[in-house]
Amino acid sequence: MSVEAARRLVQSLDIGTKEDSFGRPFLRPDYKTFPIEARNFRQIKTVNKKGRISFIDGGNQEILHAPNFSVQINRVYFNIFEDNVRKNPRNLPARIEFFSATYSDFENDDLFFKTVIYPLNEKYRVYMPDEKDLCFSSCDRTMMIGLQRADISRVASVARRFAEWKFASHIIEEELEEKNVLVVDGTLQAPYTNEPKYVERIQRFAEQKGVYFTGLSKSCELYTTTGLSLIGAIKKLAINNNLSGVWYYPVASISSIDHKAIVLIVKLHSNAERIFRFEVFSKEPDIENEIPEEAIAWLSENSRDTSFPGYPYGLIDADAFARVRNDEVERYRLILLSEISKQGKWEKFARHIQASDAHSVLNMLVGD
Amino acid sequence: MIQVYKFAHLADCHLGANRDPVLEDLELAAFKKALDSCLEEKVDFIVITGDLFHANIPDMHIANEAVKKVKEVRDKNIPIYAIYGSHDYSPNETSMIDILDSAGLIKKIVKGEVTGGKLKLEFFIDPKTKAKLVGISARKVGLEKSYFEILDRTSLERESGFKIFMFHSALSELKPEYLSQMESIPVSLLPRGFDYYAGGHIHQHSELSLPDYKRIVYPGTLFAGYPRDFEESAKGVKRGFYIVSFEEKIVDVKFKEVPVCEYVYFEYDASNKNSIQARKELLEELEKIQAEKKLVVVKIKGELSGGKTSDISSTEIRSLLIEKGATYVSINRYGLTSKEYSAIKTIGGDILMIENKLFRENIGTIKITDEALKGEKGTKLAVDLLKILRQEQKLGEKKNDYIERIQKQALDVLRLQEVFT
Amino acid sequence: MEVVGQIVSGKVGEILIRQKSGESIELGDLLVVEEGSSLLILQVFDLCYGSQIPPSARELLAGIKLEGFDAGLEFLEPELRNYVMATVKAIARVSSDRKDIKIPKILPHFFSSVRRIEKEDLAFLTKPSNPVYLGKVRSGSKIIDVDIYLNAKDTFRHHILIPATTGRGKSNLVKVMLWSVLGQGTVGALVLDPHDEYYGRHDKGLKDHPKAKDNVLYYSSNPPAGTNTLIVNLKSITPRHFQGIVTFTDPQQDAIKLYYNRFNEDWIENIVRGVDVNGVAPRTLEVLQRKFDTVLGVFLDDSGNLRCRNRVFSDSAGMTTISDIVNALENGKIVIIDTSHLSDEAELLIGSIIVNEIFHRYQAYKSVGELDTKPTVAVVLEEAPRVLSSEVLATVGDNIYSTVAREGRKFNIGLIAITQLTSLIPRPILANMNTKIILGNEMAIERRAVIDSAAQDLSEDERNIASLDKGEAIVTSIFTKFAVPIQIPLFEEYIEQTTSKEQKGKMVFVG
Repeated sequence: MSVEAARRLVQSLDIGTKEDSFGRPFLRPDYKTFPIEARNFRQIKTVNKKGRISFIDGGNQEILHAPNFSVQINRVYFNIFEDNVRKNPRNLPARIEFFSATYSDFENDDLFFKTVIYPLNEKYRVYMPDEKDLCFSSCDRTMMIGLQRADISRVASVARRFAEWKFASHIIEEELEEKNVLVVDGTLQAPYTNEPKYVERIQRFAEQKGVYFTGLSKSCELYTTTGLSLIGAIKKLAINNNLSGVWYYPVASISSIDHKAIVLIVKLHSNAERIFRFEVFSKEPDIENEIPEEAIAWLSENSRDTSFPGYPYGLIDADAFARVRNDEVERYRLILLSEISKQGKWEKFARHIQASDAHSVLNMLVGD
Repeated sequence: MIQVYKFAHLADCHLGANRDPVLEDLELAAFKKALDSCLEEKVDFIVITGDLFHANIPDMHIANEAVKKVKEVRDKNIPIYAIYGSHDYSPNETSMIDILDSAGLIKKIVKGEVTGGKLKLEFFIDPKTKAKLVGISARKVGLEKSYFEILDRTSLERESGFKIFMFHSALSELKPEYLSQMESIPVSLLPRGFDYYAGGHIHQHSELSLPDYKRIVYPGTLFAGYPRDFEESAKGVKRGFYIVSFEEKIVDVKFKEVPVCEYVYFEYDASNKNSIQARKELLEELEKIQAEKKLVVVKIKGELSGGKTSDISSTEIRSLLIEKGATYVSINRYGLTSKEYSAIKTIGGDILMIENKLFRENIGTIKITDEALKGEKGTKLAVDLLKILRQEQKLGEKKNDYIERIQKQALDVLRLQEVFT
Repeated sequence: MEVVGQIVSGKVGEILIRQKSGESIELGDLLVVEEGSSLLILQVFDLCYGSQIPPSARELLAGIKLEGFDAGLEFLEPELRNYVMATVKAIARVSSDRKDIKIPKILPHFFSSVRRIEKEDLAFLTKPSNPVYLGKVRSGSKIIDVDIYLNAKDTFRHHILIPATTGRGKSNLVKVMLWSVLGQGTVGALVLDPHDEYYGRHDKGLKDHPKAKDNVLYYSSNPPAGTNTLIVNLKSITPRHFQGIVTFTDPQQDAIKLYYNRFNEDWIENIVRGVDVNGVAPRTLEVLQRKFDTVLGVFLDDSGNLRCRNRVFSDSAGMTTISDIVNALENGKIVIIDTSHLSDEAELLIGSIIVNEIFHRYQAYKSVGELDTKPTVAVVLEEAPRVLSSEVLATVGDNIYSTVAREGRKFNIGLIAITQLTSLIPRPILANMNTKIILGNEMAIERRAVIDSAAQDLSEDERNIASLDKGEAIVTSIFTKFAVPIQIPLFEEYIEQTTSKEQKGKMVFVG
């Protein structure tokens, strides 16, 4: 029975993903897009010069949750590769970590979420975002999901995001020079309230120093005007045209408050299975002149690792060091709970935690 | 027709060993009888493998009697070939053997020199039979072993003809059990393939064979060099020498007995009896012995349950037996102990073994640094020194001469001659 | 400090160290963690690959390379992402003054750096009185210039087992040990030498020791000049000596008893000569004669003379051979018996006669309180299962060697048992062998047998033992605080240090 159902499902899915035509990338109206056509593919040429690339990534996990507070452990990490050889940072610490405590506060007839930051090393506070920027209304449209108030955990994650931007600006300022490349994990878009000013800071330094400010996204949820996934469509186009080697495909350009970039799809290794969304900061995005081909070439050189062909090794490394593992979370949770207990506050906090942790009891009952 | 030759092989005559007049007579009688027997057998030569005399300078009376007999044999053109034994040895050729050699009565056949670290010996060829004789004399305390160790055996083994090797040492492989403590050399130190190995030093006669050493012969003592020899004789061991017939090879080896007296052996075990009981019983038993004209050997052993060992008087025993007509009485009471007055326990009743053990045990308790005074070496030195110091003044020997003799021999053993000369 | 690795995880008995790239940590390597002024010594017992790269990716790249594709792919930062993990155990904690060591009971500090062991770290290994030399400390395949000695008297008395397969250097080890104790006078050794390799008839051997002249006796049926003929008088043999070596049926045993009671020390001679004894069936006598011919090689020739095929047993010579040998052992000398031309049974029988004698003498000394003044006697026995295996002991019964193995310690007599097949020796005997010098062994079952009876926990050392090269060994003993890996020197090289040119004075010959 399930086989029959699966067969019919696959058939209808197939119909729903017709790849007859690709249309254009489907983005906000203020994005300038280009038709999805074979002539737009550009080969990545190898360059002889050595490239210096810095990769940055962040990670966070919730340690303690209640409807009215969320405690997170946050981490931001960066590395530098020159001609694929790892270089030690000159000044900055490779990794910064901080606790963040986001709690709800009722003021002016509204519920606000405020985040306070506790760096594990006070020296690193200078790399942290301003706590004033981490105060959001629960009805902040950039945080809400549909008509629902913002989720406190989601709001809590913003601290890490802002910390990445802040740290990135310091990286450009203190570690990079002209024609060096900074690659963030993700897009260059700053959709949240108070976020654009952090990105602007990076853009300012990048412009001043002539550093390429870029971002590579692991995943891309963009569509085409024919209902296909943008990534799938570009890939199909490449196959249809027997395109081999490493290439990039300009998709769109944008210059708005929250986003200034040329958006590309890149294939960074000839044997790569995956292609990725890649963005380059440009004040006046001009696809003809502003695409830094050498930066893409250097990035391609860094994407030769067999563990994940076509994905930059620097980002693999940054992800590994930025990620907060579950066992670490447990450890931090224990420390925190121990402190709560020492201060005699467990009963009080438990009352709130138990408002939303029934599922974990159920999980425990079924052995999950 | 190939001529068959004969030679006599004697050893360990120990002339002068016995100071008692009766024993002295018997000792000389045995020697004379042996040489008479050689004359009767018409031997072509005589071989004496050491300890003809009990000391390198024997009693003059003994020497005189011995020389007379030797001259008699010599006058009949029968050469006598000899080597030193451990008793009649002299490091500087001042032994009675040397005197007889100088007088042409005896021929010392040992000749050789050390070259390139090897001892090269020269054969002596008997003019009549062409038998080739070669050998190594004994030295004090078995020091001849060092000569054997550097002996150039190959050249001796290569020599053709009928060969006799003369030596005065115990062989480790052939020692009797009761001589297990005696210094000995392994047979592998002797050159292989000789026709006859004429040995001396072991007082029991034996004729033995080992691979590559077809005939190793010890004639044994003619009479007695030590009190133990009496015991052995009394127990039935025959005394004599060997007559060997040979052509190109040995034809026959026969033992010629030389009896000079009859023996009686009596053993008494005093274990678990008190001294009074034991004495009474012993004397009663001795009464039953047929002792007339016999050499009586009495061995008393065992641990008395009470009383002193001196309660059993050797004098009393001796008197009893002499009264019964015994020619001589030898008493061995070293195995007799008393529970009440036990000294250090020892295994074995032989005085040599006991002395050995006592020295060995006591040396272990003293702190000594000189290797030569430690362990086995030290024990041996002590035993040999005691042997020398134990010697009594000979009949007719002046006191100063006696002292000088003892001193000289003692220094010899201690290897301090150069220090004190 | 030259770091070779870092502790990354693990538990007691299984600490994991990541090897620094460019270093080569070996199985058996001794590593050190410095903790304040004290040290923790670790030993490597396993090595494996560690990688941050998933296996599929690694296999893919290997496949690409093997099949000749040039896909333009590689591993970036291979030294960071591919590495060797060493599994180690802590074997000793050394005090700050380097004089004292303890068995470690706590884990080293997490993430500690480790370095290689150095000579100074082993200052606690001192030379005892009455030393027997085993070799130098080994870390992996590297030799550390620290000598390993054990107290000879104690070690020999508590028995030594040397398990190894052929060609691993067992005889070399024993030669080195005996050379080092030669002349001390505190230990004697009886060597039953079935391959004639200890004396040095043609090559270097114990005969080359400066003190050999007074301290080494060699017995052979074909003795080189200056050595002794192996010849044993039949009177030296009693029925007890055959126990556990030669099987006799009940009627045969009864017959032997009768002959021994009647003829005492001449019992064998009378059996061989076929002298009738009341109560002994002619058939039994015939079988006994044949048996003695087989085992001893003794028979009656046509002329009625008693002869011996292997020239070792005699009715007329060798009266003092056994007592000479036993006296020598009692004086702390080494006695080597060349049994290369003898059957197994004859070899074991001769050994049995000697060992019985020394055992009973030492029992007597103990009863009168003199045992402490006597040297310890060690019996070197090759292919020990011939007399110590469970099967032999069950079928033929106990023998003097198994008696020594069980009780010898009380009487200062020990076995140095050499074997390829430890698994055949029963556990109670193995447990008594308090020093095991383990050489290489390919057979897993044998390694396990040794490990199970070792004085220290070697449960993780199977790989170490399997990888032991010739001359490499592990010493596990109640006299060592931990199982010490050693390199045994080649005998010929070892003796060069101690052989001195004897200054011989010119000898004057007097005759």
